This record gives sequence, structure tokens and C-alpha cells, in this order.
Amino acid sequence: MRHLLLSILGLLLLSTLSGCGYNTMQANEEAVIAAWGNVESSYQRRNDLIPNLVEVVKGYAKHEADTLKAVTEARAKVGSMQLSKEVINDPAALTRFQQNQGELSSALSRLMVVAEKYPDLKANQNFLDLQKQLEGTENRINVARERYNKTVQTFNTSIRTFPNSMTNSLLLHLKRKEPFKAEEGAKTAPKVKF
Amino acid sequence: MRFNAFKLLLLFIITFVCPAQHVSALEAPPLKGRINDYAGMLSPATARSLEQKLAAFENETTNQVVLLTIPSLEGDVIESYAIRVAEAWKIGQKDKSNGVILILAKKERKIRIEVGTGLQGVLPDITAGQIIRNVIAPELRAGNIDQGISAGLGAIIGATKGEFKATAADKKAAKKKKGSGYGLFIILLLAAIVITAVAGSSSRTAGILAGGVSLPAAAGIGLGAVLWKLGALALLGAAAGFLISLLMRLFHAGGGGGGSYGGGWGGPTIFYGGGGGGSSSSDDSFSGGGGDFDGGGSSDDW
Repeated sequence: MRHLLLSILGLLLLSTLSGCGYNTMQANEEAVIAAWGNVESSYQRRNDLIPNLVEVVKGYAKHEADTLKAVTEARAKVGSMQLSKEVINDPAALTRFQQNQGELSSALSRLMVVAEKYPDLKANQNFLDLQKQLEGTENRINVARERYNKTVQTFNTSIRTFPNSMTNSLLLHLKRKEPFKAEEGAKTAPKVKF
Repeated sequence: MRFNAFKLLLLFIITFVCPAQHVSALEAPPLKGRINDYAGMLSPATARSLEQKLAAFENETTNQVVLLTIPSLEGDVIESYAIRVAEAWKIGQKDKSNGVILILAKKERKIRIEVGTGLQGVLPDITAGQIIRNVIAPELRAGNIDQGISAGLGAIIGATKGEFKATAADKKAAKKKKGSGYGLFIILLLAAIVITAVAGSSSRTAGILAGGVSLPAAAGIGLGAVLWKLGALALLGAAAGFLISLLMRLFHAGGGGGGSYGGGWGGPTIFYGGGGGGSSSSDDSFSGGGGDFDGGGSSDDW
């Protein structure tokens, strides 16, 4: 009789298991993965703009071959990085990703500074459009990274606070995720005002 | 087989002690209407006519276009501020994300057009930039504030006109959002409780059935079809009530009381579901439709 009583109580508890922890943590992890997808697509958007940009600048600034080459090489390096879903679980891979993208950002900044020296280029409609698109893309990257960091914070908190931490260590074994770190002196996008 | 009561107790604690997680609040100003002129840049007549123009535009296309002027950014960057406002106000319909926010910061002389994801096909970053540079900024520099803002909003309307069209279903949904409240639900809930109590006093099984069915029905009719999902939870609650009534029977002699316990279990579950899922009962006020923003748009100075 005692066994029956307790097993019924156990069934009752099982029916309310979704109340706490188990589902929340998995939902949070899915939110992190989705946010990471947005980060990747924002960076990809920037990547796609670069060939056009290089072509337009090349037409006016033939002597700046070094700067153009630096941009093209940085872009190729980003493109060659093998990105799997595991990059969010692997802090070293995330750091490498951030570093490569940071190098591309610096190369782009230098290119925009160089472009200031060429008045014909600055008046070129294609160049102005690309510049606007680049600004928009950099903003999207910032927004995507911030949102990703927020989902990471929610997820990490949810696996570490008390009842959930037990469910995690006993049942789910989800790993802590890494957020994006702020880059040195690069808090705002490369913006050039003509 | 020895039963480990401690493990059960621990499991008990895990399943029932649930910490609520809150997101910290943003500092966007409250959404007053379609024209939010916190910097006092518009004349009252212009503000009224623009409000009507934007409301008519939403009726016609379901696009939500909104103006925000603030006295100063106070050291913030307009892009970060704009996305925070967009996330707080959620301009644009939830399924279409067709919102646009025109933001002006008076002291820093900064303009930004923040475009929702659904309108970035017709109003991409380049076009938004052109509207600011060619339409709004020149007028503002010349001191024609009303003209500049009206022309800017007009250009945004012009660019986004063809993208979406309000269907009869959209218009009905917009009307329903304004009128519905909790009134109907409360009446149905009371009726459901009475039915459950009456059924419960006659037999336990009838009480469980009455509770499990009438309460989800009350929520479904009173608050909207979506809550059938939560109705399923109520059935779970009714099942839990059945188990508890079994326990009660083991400890007490009376069996009649068990039926009403079953109904009672369904009640709290549905009530939480109802409280969470019900739409806001606003009369004539404007509110964001739940649209999404990703940082697209353009900014410039004047």
C-alpha cells in the first residue's frame, strides 16, 4: 500500500516535470543557437558586400593596391574558417572567429580612411550606396552580437541556478556557452563622414 | 526494493521550486501614439494631422510607422538607442514585422530611420539613407521642422505603400484587439466552477470530467482558441486531481469531496494560462503589433 501511494505521488510529480528547469534549459539553448545563426548571417552579409566595394575603390584608387589586398586577404581568411554549430560550445573556436572578423574590420576601416583621399571616389554613387550598406550591415552585426550575448547570459544563468543546476548535472549535461567579448577600441563601426 | 524517500523529496523540490527569470527593463520612453514628440519639435496641428495620416496608413496596409523625437541622446549612440526603442515598442505586426520608426535627437541633430525586417525589401538601408539625406535633413537645416518631418514620413509611406495590404481578417483582428477583456472569461469560469462542484458532489468521476472539460472550454471561449493548448494542461491538472482524490480517499472516509478537488486542480492551471495568454483590453490606444527589428535602416546628421 505504501509503495502504491508513493509511486502514485511519483507519477504526479512526473506530470508536472515540465514546470521547471528541464524544458527551460533546452529552450534557452535553442535560443542561443538561433541567435548564433543571426550573428553568422550578419557577418556573411558584410562578406558579400566586400567584392563590390573592392572593385569600386580599385577603379579610382589604383595605387592603393596594398590596402585592397589586405581587405581581400582578410575576407578570404574569414571565408576559409570552418564553422559548425560547435563553435558556440568551444571558447577557442569563438575567439578565433572573433579575431578573424576583427582583422577584417580593421582592414575595412583602413580602406575607408584611404578612400577619403579620392574626391572622385567619394562622389561616386556606387561607392556611397556601398558605404550606406556597409554601415547598415555593421549595425546589424552589433545588434546580432548583443542579442546573442543576451541569450548566452540567460542560458548560462539557467544552467547554474539552483534547481536547474541539479537537473543539468543529473540529466541534460548542457555546457556553458561563451559570449562575445568587446574588442579593444572598436566599440563603434568603421564610420566615415564625408 | 527499498524506496529512497530522500531522493523523492529532492525530486519534489526540483519540480516545484521554480525561479522566475526576468529580463531587465529598457529605457525607451513610453509609446504614446504614432507621434511621440518628446522634444516638442512639431506644431500641434501638424502632430494631429500626421497622427491621422499614419493611422489611416496602418488601416490600409497594416504597416505601422511611428515618429519619436527626443531632446537629447545623453551620450548614447543613436543606433543602440533606436534598436532598444524598437525592441521595447515592437512596432509592426507580429507576423509581418512591417514597422518603421523615425527618430530625431534634437540636441545632437541626429536622424535615424529604423526599418523592421519585413519592410527591408522596399525600404532598404540605401533608400532610408536617401530619404534622410535628400528629404528630411535639408528642410531641418533650413529650419522647416514641420515640413521636414512631414515630408520624411510621407516618403516612408510612399516607399512602403505597395508591400502589404490589410485584408478583412486583419481589420477584424485589429478591432478585436481593442475591445476584448477578461469579462467574458470570468463569467464562464464561474459557470465552470459551479458545474464542477455540482457534478463533484454527486460522484467523483463526474467531478473530474466536469472540471477537465468545462474549464478549458471557459478559457477557449472567453479568451481565444489558442488556449486550447493550455486546456490540455488543465486536463493534466484534472488527472492530478484524480490522483489526489485517491489519496484523500485513503486518508478520509468521505468520497464525495474528491470530485470538487478534481475541478479545483483544473482551475488554477487554466487561470494562469488565461492570465498569461489574454490580449490587453485597450480601448482606443495605439500599441505595437509585435514586429521584429534587426538593426537595418540608416542614420545621418542635419
